[in-house]
Amino acid sequence: MTTEGLRFPNGTTVVIAVFLIALPCILPSLTLASEILVLATGALSCTLLLGSVGLLSFGQGLYFGLGAYVSAILIRDFEMSALAATIAASLAGCLLAAAAGLLIVRRQGVYFVMLTLAFAQMGFFLALAFPRLTGGENGFGNVPRTAIAFGQFALSNPLLLYVFLAILSFAAFALVQRIVASPFGSVLNSIRYNESRSEALGYDARRFKLAAVTMAGGIAALAGAMNTLMLNFVPLSAIDVETSERLLIASLIGGVGSPLGALIGASVLSAMSDFLSPIWPRWSMVVALLLIVTVLFLRDGLLGLGGVLRRQGKEMPNG
Amino acid sequence: MSAQVLIFGALNGVGIGMIYFILSVGLTMIFGLMQFVNFAHGAFYMVSAYAAFAIAQWTGSVLPALLISPLLAAAFALASERLLLQRTYSLPHEAQILITFALAILAQESVTMIFGTLGKNVPVPEIFSGVVIFGGFVYPSYRLFVVGIAVAVALAMWLAIERTRFGAMVRAAAENAEMMGLLGFDSRKVFMAAFAFGGALAGLAGALAAPLRGVEPLMGREALAIAFVVVILGGLGSFSGALLAALLIGITQSLMSMIWPGGAHLMIYGVMTMILAFRPTGLMGRS
Amino acid sequence: MRNRREILAAAAVGIATPSLLRRAWAQQDAIEIGSLVSLSGTFANIGEQVDIGSKIAIDHYKTAAGRPLRYVQLDDQGDPGRAVRLTQDAIRDRGIRFFMNCTNSAIALAVAKEVASSGGVYINQAGADEMTGTLCNKNTFRWPVATYSAVNTTVRPFMKQFPDAKKWYTITGQYVFGDSLLKNLKDVLGELGGQHVGNSYHSLSDREYSGFITAAIAAQPDVLCICNFGSQTTDVLRQAVSFGMKRNTKIVVVWSTGLDQFQSLGPDICEGVYFGANYWHGVDAPGNRLLTGVIKDKLKVTPSYLLTAGWACTQATVEALNKAGSAEVPAVIKAFETLSYEGPTGLEKVRAEDHQVLKDYYLLLGKPKAKMLDKDDYVDVISAQKAFLPPDKTGCKL
Repeated sequence: MTTEGLRFPNGTTVVIAVFLIALPCILPSLTLASEILVLATGALSCTLLLGSVGLLSFGQGLYFGLGAYVSAILIRDFEMSALAATIAASLAGCLLAAAAGLLIVRRQGVYFVMLTLAFAQMGFFLALAFPRLTGGENGFGNVPRTAIAFGQFALSNPLLLYVFLAILSFAAFALVQRIVASPFGSVLNSIRYNESRSEALGYDARRFKLAAVTMAGGIAALAGAMNTLMLNFVPLSAIDVETSERLLIASLIGGVGSPLGALIGASVLSAMSDFLSPIWPRWSMVVALLLIVTVLFLRDGLLGLGGVLRRQGKEMPNG
Repeated sequence: MSAQVLIFGALNGVGIGMIYFILSVGLTMIFGLMQFVNFAHGAFYMVSAYAAFAIAQWTGSVLPALLISPLLAAAFALASERLLLQRTYSLPHEAQILITFALAILAQESVTMIFGTLGKNVPVPEIFSGVVIFGGFVYPSYRLFVVGIAVAVALAMWLAIERTRFGAMVRAAAENAEMMGLLGFDSRKVFMAAFAFGGALAGLAGALAAPLRGVEPLMGREALAIAFVVVILGGLGSFSGALLAALLIGITQSLMSMIWPGGAHLMIYGVMTMILAFRPTGLMGRS
Repeated sequence: MRNRREILAAAAVGIATPSLLRRAWAQQDAIEIGSLVSLSGTFANIGEQVDIGSKIAIDHYKTAAGRPLRYVQLDDQGDPGRAVRLTQDAIRDRGIRFFMNCTNSAIALAVAKEVASSGGVYINQAGADEMTGTLCNKNTFRWPVATYSAVNTTVRPFMKQFPDAKKWYTITGQYVFGDSLLKNLKDVLGELGGQHVGNSYHSLSDREYSGFITAAIAAQPDVLCICNFGSQTTDVLRQAVSFGMKRNTKIVVVWSTGLDQFQSLGPDICEGVYFGANYWHGVDAPGNRLLTGVIKDKLKVTPSYLLTAGWACTQATVEALNKAGSAEVPAVIKAFETLSYEGPTGLEKVRAEDHQVLKDYYLLLGKPKAKMLDKDDYVDVISAQKAFLPPDKTGCKL
């Protein structure tokens, strides 16, 4: 993430807040807005890793799935409130990510990516191997619409559900902004630019990476828990590799230079699949093309679009 | 379970392993030569399998496809390299992963658009439609033919790597990527050759696999997953490692299907995770 | 600056328009039926066919309960989460009360819950027994038979024909559906004196089955039984045949998807194999004559199981609406519960206790290529039977 504007709260914080409030007003469907929140929060975990420490994770779906299952089990079988289950699920995500992270951060580059992928695959096969716990391919169903906390504010009201999800999502975004703006964040950033130099300065890069991986796991699990609250149900697909890919794509398309990118990427991806899929079933080609354009020409994702256009404008005096 | 059953299982595993070897060797070669992670490897495989299907429909036999499809896959790989992938050489590995991943989606969706979503059957060539029986062990002739080709490919590659100038370069590059330039190779040509050859190998695997498994749009995804497991287990870039790993996985899979089938995948990914974490150079790589 | 604002406004309108338009289209008098089909994603091969079948049925019937019908396609992209979301939207924003179809059990179970909690009617093609078992509900109906029925209507007639084929080996998909098939098979074998000599489980993502097949051959069974569905079943069968298992073993595929599957296997593999199926186009029944006629007329093809499943769920909904004479949900549910009509498999009846459609399940035998009368004439019908768990045994409490 860029080192400029390293304050929190800043303008971006306000933009995110306004975005979250505006989403349900602009979009034709409240559930689409909720889905965007879930995807954006999940994508945020990729943004945190890629944007701040430069780690590409193909496996955030593992924590997303874990958060989804943990929250569902807690709500259905232990009758926990939505808030408590969400917090517990996020903590579970942190724990698993810390454990996996111990192994993952030992590696860099391609090997790091492959390790995240291998962990994600293991998670999927575990979920499939224990259908009593996860419902297997039929999914984990019958999660009741619970209340937020202390039996108050039942989430059966869709608008209230959106508000609750938006608050959780905003909390995650604010947290990431806060992290990036902190001294810890600047160490992460220096690791991203030059790992060996940071080491030479006396920072143990692995420990900082582990911390980032842990937090990203917690955020992805939070998104998973939000998904459970939205659907009252956990499909097996919550933990498959395609979920990992979706989170990553949303984050990349939006741009990893700022947390705002996750929100933009998620909005574009969800809205596009909503509007394009009835017209053209092969719509994921558009996503693939967008991904190629992002990687080759828009290194800052859609967020960077403004900058690129401005530069183009300067080059062409009449433009 | 009798010893004979276990032996049959192991023999069959060798057969699976050889098929996995052709599938993966192109991937490991591209990585060894250029440190390039190719997520589109499965797409080359799938495109070629579909080409084999079309050729079999048209000519009535899949045999001509065994020659034509790999060429088509090589052309596809070469075109991708020239038009798209070469732009990523200066970018970090992550960019290459993402671009080839996107390329794989494009290929998968295009094939769906042309051939539809339903799986298609590719008949086994007439002359290989029977089975071979030795002792009590039954084995399809076509599989035997595939294994034969795989062995031939492995031998040819081994000779090429040990005896030719290109092979010397492959070995040098696997040790140290910069060596290639020092040895006076034109990296542009080498990369093109690597993609064409890697694509052709994936294509050969696809054309051979079509009569074994039929064709469907998602087949590239599974193939990619297998190829990655093999390549990582063997050590990225290692030719002999890929062979060893492919055989190991084939035999494990075959034996595990008799002992604890549910655990086969868990175990394979578990081992892969451990290797990545503790011995990233794989079984055969030097650390 | 003005320019940019205009663009933003235009963009906002662009995004909001689909829903406005949709509402404008939703005329007062039409009955809208939401159809959950996956047109993209992993299950597109299923969704596409179901979608076509349902659309044609709606075109054919045109009206129900005296009102025009409108088909509302909901593409869930194979994702149960998305299916739930689209259902919520359809109910809340568009007031749709009637739903049908699914491309996998997870979608059906999740949508059924959603439809039940908001008071609609849903009929689907789920394979999972839970649909009309422990997870049944007042608002949901299911057209295909349960695993109990599939096993009993295939294995019993088979064993009657081959009383000497005692030793059975099974290859089973290790997940809920495969396990239910296996459990029922063991029950039937136990009762009829068959011997279950071994089972190989494979996982949902296996594509290489030669190891399982080698194990099966080693057990020297009389019968190899495949307990799974879809493309995995196709692959297992293809590989089993390539290993020459047809030579001295009979192969029974308890749950096939009929014509589609036979086409992707080819006649050589199908020959001599026994298939269980929910539908076969060659069956002589008034409802089937109607269906095959309409499909031939409009698409110039022979109806497959998936296409028929789309048709069947639509037909059942239309019949229930007609019987109720209104689109009031309680009346339609009531009509559904006592419904009986000429469907694609003959006379089909809905059972009130668990909302299962009681219909025939077929045992089919693949015939040699030389004996096929046309390109789709892959099998002979060996038996057509109904066998259902008694309502008190299904685990369903309505």
